[in-house]
Amino acid sequence: MDLSKYAALFVTESREHLKACNTSLLEWESNPGATEPVGRLFRAVHTIKGMAATMGYSSVAQLSHCIENLLDGLRQGRLGTSPAVFQLLFRGIDALGRTVEAATVGTEEPVDSALVAELDAAAGSQSASVSEEKAPGPPQHARRATDLPRLRQVSVVIRSGAVMRGARAALILRRAESLGAVSGVRPPPAELERDEFDGRCAFRLQSRHSDAEIEAALRAVGEIDTLLLEEPVARRGEAQGVTRHIRIELRRLDVLMKQVGELVVAKNRLSSLGSQIGEPALTEVSERISRLVSAMQTEVIEARMTPVGEVFERFPRLVRDLSRDLGKQIRFDMEGEEIELDRSILDDIGEPLLHLIRNAADHGLESPAERIVAGKPAQGRILLSAALERNTVAIRVTDDGRGIDRDRILAKARREGAAPETDTLTDDLLVRILAKPGFSTAETVSGVSGRGVGVDVVMTRVRALGGTLEVRTELGRGTTFVIRVPLTLAIVRALLTQAGGERYAVPLAYVAETVEFDRRAVTAVRDREALVVRDQVIPTVHLRELVSAPAGPTSARRPTVILEIGERRTALVVDALVGQQDIVVEPFDAPRGLPPFVGGATILADGAPALILDAAALL
Amino acid sequence: MNHTVLVCDDAIFMRTMISDILSQAGFEVVGEAESGLQAVEKYRELKPDLVTMDIVMPDMGGIEAVREICKTDPDAKILMCSAMGQQALVVEAIQAGAKDFVVKPFQPSRVLEAVQRVLA
Repeated sequence: MDLSKYAALFVTESREHLKACNTSLLEWESNPGATEPVGRLFRAVHTIKGMAATMGYSSVAQLSHCIENLLDGLRQGRLGTSPAVFQLLFRGIDALGRTVEAATVGTEEPVDSALVAELDAAAGSQSASVSEEKAPGPPQHARRATDLPRLRQVSVVIRSGAVMRGARAALILRRAESLGAVSGVRPPPAELERDEFDGRCAFRLQSRHSDAEIEAALRAVGEIDTLLLEEPVARRGEAQGVTRHIRIELRRLDVLMKQVGELVVAKNRLSSLGSQIGEPALTEVSERISRLVSAMQTEVIEARMTPVGEVFERFPRLVRDLSRDLGKQIRFDMEGEEIELDRSILDDIGEPLLHLIRNAADHGLESPAERIVAGKPAQGRILLSAALERNTVAIRVTDDGRGIDRDRILAKARREGAAPETDTLTDDLLVRILAKPGFSTAETVSGVSGRGVGVDVVMTRVRALGGTLEVRTELGRGTTFVIRVPLTLAIVRALLTQAGGERYAVPLAYVAETVEFDRRAVTAVRDREALVVRDQVIPTVHLRELVSAPAGPTSARRPTVILEIGERRTALVVDALVGQQDIVVEPFDAPRGLPPFVGGATILADGAPALILDAAALL
Repeated sequence: MNHTVLVCDDAIFMRTMISDILSQAGFEVVGEAESGLQAVEKYRELKPDLVTMDIVMPDMGGIEAVREICKTDPDAKILMCSAMGQQALVVEAIQAGAKDFVVKPFQPSRVLEAVQRVLA
């Protein structure tokens, strides 16, 4: 039998099981009395052993056999747990991971005999040779379906006599969001605002609640005719806890996404031509194509959406190791693992998070002794959380440590010639100083987070994703870093504005509202022009000046876009608002000297190119 | 104890009508506001169980007021009062945190149904 075609499957599945091993081991370590984790751990290792033996990867099989032996003794209570045993198991699982990776690229590693000897000694027995053992039966499942939030397809029909059915649907969506993660909303939310909305909407809901609880909660919104909860068709295989595989090569999804992007551009162009020509038959076809392309776009974007938990799940292990290395007690919690992000963004978010978590553990949290002196519990806390906010995902790394000393940062920045003009260091300014390449306040270089360099790396990465980085810190209380990224990179809804005869796209995710620039509402704050909007003073930026367009005739009242990221706001004064459009972000090889406020380029519906403004750079 | 209500509308006519409907149903109207700004201030002061909120008001509209109130109290029970044809605004209010809505002209039974849902 040709086994090579199973090699890829072996490695994917083994990686999943190894991840489950780490999770179970962490859980078990934190609660050594629990019997669940050791059972799961045993089954996962056992499954890997069986697969490896079938594939003929003898190193993998031998090592997993030793680990399994030790686990068996622990599981049956013949052996007792201790910190040393846990450490040995962690080392064993790590070695198993390396052996699996090596085996699948054809360079099978000899088994680490010292480790095997330690495992055997701990298990108190000589391991039987694997080859004598029969390959085990069908793999058992390491994960239980009931532990995880379940995904359902929810379809709702709103009573036909109800008023404002779109608004009712919006209420249902809000309620659903309070129960879990909502995705794949159909029709798109903008449709709900139209009077033609027919009262039918559908979405996916990933929730820990039972069907009955979900149904009761949604029905309480009122005016619902029918409500249906179903197992989503595409993922039915998961119901029995079968491991998930990505069966499509990611590259194909990328190609598909790019093509759908082109299609969106062509669709926009077609509908703009259609409305110019005004031929009813053409308009009809064009509208039909619009709907189809929108549906397809939603589908492709969804296929690329992956829960952030996939990136989060490696951090508990990291923090555990950090806490050992640094001699600190750290409690690590995660929230919002079910929030979904575009795969390509997710792939790039891991490293910035790694930096932030390391910084939090190393620089943020104090030693247990310092904490006790400061009147805090000896155990520090780091929280990693994800949340959906407007059209962005905010990922926060929060610690309850010493906080960042603004005075020290300010003094240091002054010495380095990066002295800001003010005496008070706002959060905005602080993050900009911290993100200066090479800026460091760490007095000692530690092996964990180096010279405190990292914030600049994080900032660069996050900006490349079209995201932003914020910091909030309070001396003695702790620090929170917020990474905010768009849900998807490829296609964004944008507000088109005009200045000096050119059009510029502003991603809607950062648009709070549009107002009118009124000379009478202008004031000055620290020599900067600012606009007063409902008692709030917002600094202005004139797009014309920004792009060095000639100052043409200006009327007293001009449209103004209020940009908002977190708490920060800027009023962008433009010549005209053109409208909203889905734009496809074109990859942009930034030539040197490109102004920082340009975040990318796009092709508009009429075929003309336009620059995309980077909201973060304008704030 | 009766539920307390804050009624926000810039028209005295509407405020009176809503207050009457709710008082007759046993609610206690503890305050009225005629602008969004006042609504936010009174909410903080009175902490009512329920707020009825008109969408179009001077000095901060109803939607902005919902956003402000929900900033400090995401569980605030706010019922939007809207006119026909304001669906887009109602959707926006819901996204800002409003819990339900009624559409003018008001039928007392409809208003009370919506109030029950919000307080459930």
